[in-house]
Amino acid sequence: MTLAGGGGTARARTRIDVEVAARVIGPVWPLRSFIAVNPLDGLVEIGFDAAVAQAQRWLRARCHPDLGLLRAARHAGRITDDDLRASVLARHPSLGDDEVAAFLSELLERPVARPPAVPRTAAERCDERLGTHLAVTVDAMVATWCAAFVDEGAAAWPMPGRSEGLYRAWRRLAPHDPGLRRLAGRQARAELRHLSEHPEDAIVEALDDLGVPPESYRDELRGQLCRLPGWTGYARWREDWAPPDEPAPRLSLVDLLAVRLVHERLAVRAAGATPRAVVRAIHSQPVGQEPDDHAAVWLDAYERHYRDELLATMARPTPTSSIRRPVAQLVCCIDARSEGLRRHLEATGDYETLGFAGFFGMAIRFRPLGATDVRAQCPVLVTPGVSIEERPIPGQERLAERHLARGETAAAAGSAFHAAKTGTGAAFTLAEISGWVTGAAAAARTLRPRRRVRAERRSRPRTAPTVDANADGLGFTLDEQVLYAETALVTMGLTGGFAPLVLLCGHRGRTTNNPHASALDCGACGGNPGGPNARVAAAILNRSEVRSDLRERGVDIPSRTWFVAGEHDTTTDTVEILDRHDIPPGLAGAVAVFERDLAQAARRLAAERVRVLPGGRVRRPAAHAAVRAHDWAEVRPEWGLARNAAFVVGPRAMSVGLDLGCRTFLHSYDPAVDPDGTALETILTAPMVVAQWINAQYYFSTVDPDVFGGGDKTQHNAVGGVGVLLGGGGDLRAGLPTQSVLDGDDPYHEPLRLLTVVQAPLERITAVVDRNDVLRHLFDGGWVTLAARSHPDAPWQLRCGDGTWAQWQPAVRGDDDMEVPV
Amino acid sequence: MTRQSLTPMTKVEVVVTGDDLPALREVFAAAGATGYTSVANVSGVGHHGFHQGRLAFNERDALTLVITVVPDDRAEAVLAGVQLLLADRPGVMFVSDTSVSRPEYFR
Repeated sequence: MTLAGGGGTARARTRIDVEVAARVIGPVWPLRSFIAVNPLDGLVEIGFDAAVAQAQRWLRARCHPDLGLLRAARHAGRITDDDLRASVLARHPSLGDDEVAAFLSELLERPVARPPAVPRTAAERCDERLGTHLAVTVDAMVATWCAAFVDEGAAAWPMPGRSEGLYRAWRRLAPHDPGLRRLAGRQARAELRHLSEHPEDAIVEALDDLGVPPESYRDELRGQLCRLPGWTGYARWREDWAPPDEPAPRLSLVDLLAVRLVHERLAVRAAGATPRAVVRAIHSQPVGQEPDDHAAVWLDAYERHYRDELLATMARPTPTSSIRRPVAQLVCCIDARSEGLRRHLEATGDYETLGFAGFFGMAIRFRPLGATDVRAQCPVLVTPGVSIEERPIPGQERLAERHLARGETAAAAGSAFHAAKTGTGAAFTLAEISGWVTGAAAAARTLRPRRRVRAERRSRPRTAPTVDANADGLGFTLDEQVLYAETALVTMGLTGGFAPLVLLCGHRGRTTNNPHASALDCGACGGNPGGPNARVAAAILNRSEVRSDLRERGVDIPSRTWFVAGEHDTTTDTVEILDRHDIPPGLAGAVAVFERDLAQAARRLAAERVRVLPGGRVRRPAAHAAVRAHDWAEVRPEWGLARNAAFVVGPRAMSVGLDLGCRTFLHSYDPAVDPDGTALETILTAPMVVAQWINAQYYFSTVDPDVFGGGDKTQHNAVGGVGVLLGGGGDLRAGLPTQSVLDGDDPYHEPLRLLTVVQAPLERITAVVDRNDVLRHLFDGGWVTLAARSHPDAPWQLRCGDGTWAQWQPAVRGDDDMEVPV
Repeated sequence: MTRQSLTPMTKVEVVVTGDDLPALREVFAAAGATGYTSVANVSGVGHHGFHQGRLAFNERDALTLVITVVPDDRAEAVLAGVQLLLADRPGVMFVSDTSVSRPEYFR
């Protein structure tokens, strides 16, 4: 199919109008690879204040922490009046003392009200004028079509014509839709039979029919999309982020809008409204909104207090000096949960720990043993270039066959069970017939979790990833191995002082009956367990040929050093050593000691972590954590990355010996081995960007769970593999579930924008930031605060919005807090 | 083969960030372009100074050069779409006359 001339021009324009209109809604990844993302990522360029004003206007979202939370924080001393005063002056430096006092007085006493909702679409305007319920009716109908379209095998009868896109598939079925006939009347049937072939044309026809002038197309389109932000976000993922070979049906924004606008057009007309005049009135209204100055001051004070404490803590010399000759090194993911494991391991002995993005620089497509699907094991900012498969090592082939046969039998049973569950009539008898078996299995899974895990491990064959390039097109060439290894080691500053054992430790969550399970896995591995990347990286770094080439490049790994792969289960706080068969026998004793200390560190971390989980004050925290992981009714197996607040770049000496409360992403960096700033640039443009997405996802899911959050887990219904609904229908719920950020009605997560702390020469940081738009937008647009110092003895500097540096001055902590209602 | 035996067409070259590639592809498809060539990780100096080309682990914020060739009657659609895209996004567009040996590939 080709298009030409005026039609092509108009359609190209419509495509851009749709793309611009959708920027207010962030992409939503499917559940199988759920990753945290900034819901306002499409608006990063315009800065935080302007972006949240857009979100308030179009999504009707609350974008700052609730005033009740802030007042409680002030009551608890978490925000002081000095913080507030400093924040007022930071925003309004010309105010005098009396004016600041007046500002604070008003700030502390004025209630916050949501601005009135302005109608966004023709149907909303009709509802307002006529008392109809067209908008929600259209929402429900379009959402149902979306769910039918994207189904990934759950439905017995898939929607026909899906390969042509939603609009064309729907267009064929629409004349037979009784719901649409009820909404629009019988006379609409003829019109539905003659809808335009192209979705872009259908959009423009509907907009014209609704009386929307061309200069208001984008506003109307934005309003339409904001009625269904979940499905819009999914379409954004499918169009902009899904890999080219993605098998899921391609839900596009243009198709979604075409279907929706035809519904609205018919509904408005059937309701007897005169939309032309009404819509003109809507679009003549101002759409901008003044940023809420008070909310901004509160948020700044909330962040300032945390920032002052962290910088003050790291400004003091740490009690533990770096270890000259560590017995082993642990390289963890930068994930905030790793901070606890590192801290507790360091307390057990002469261990050095480092932080690096948990994919260890190995951007791979990985197929686990016997799996049909391939996972992209890398940050979503990268396209994996190398395919790796997990295969049995020589001598293990027959065991692997038996293992896979057992898996196929279980899969067949599962498939039959699923078919019976979804079949008409069969579902009613299934519970009667199978309840005694499945109930017992569920109870065993809950009550004997460790035994089950051990049994699974015992039956697993020994395998290895196909690291070396082979005839099947898998694996890395030697040059690639050397390049990837060098990049990883230099970026984390590990170019010398290697210990005899270096554990590359990926991480994963382990939960049962949890649609959002992948949200607890490694974000740097694309929402997958990080073990495969650790295995590949360790295998490469143990190659003598790789070490030989690395030596020529200035990275000398001694022959006595061995890299070991491992995986930290963040739900149970256990660390598993992987590929034991690869470890030289002479290192068995050292590995055993390392494992013992890791287990001790993990137990201490479990005790610390379980204590803050609801219902977690128990005698045996490690056992309690295991039960939570395997309990199919547990809605909060762990807190994940809740309370994340900062991203620290520099040597571990900056933070060793400090309890950072599992709130910081820690990325190792040695300025001495990075004179041109390449490693720093890599850290800031990739791991920090991913950390900012995580931070923003937690922030927005907390400040407005209704708009940005995933809703209550107990009400979730999974739609194929793509997402969850609340109840039986409606919009896809994006964001984190309520139980990930709230404890009851109160936030557990502290909604703070990310603080990035870097120890590196300031001129190097400035150069890196200035040559990367993404960093300028984040640091200068109010999304991330950047604090830095050139060396440990230098004072902290804060990057200002104009790109200059100002010396950090903590808010004075006095005893003059005002008496105000809390 | 002589130049006279070739078919005249319009070549459009666009430099955008990886973030805008999907939108650019949408424009090409809607305008009737049958294909494109992309060159990832390009760098250069523009009116905002030096633009970094390659980033080790971030393709979305690196610059990509995308080249398409269309029959002249589809060029206006491509140009209109790209101009709209670049109205508030970073990037540049170059348009030139070109000739191709296999015109059926581009129709």
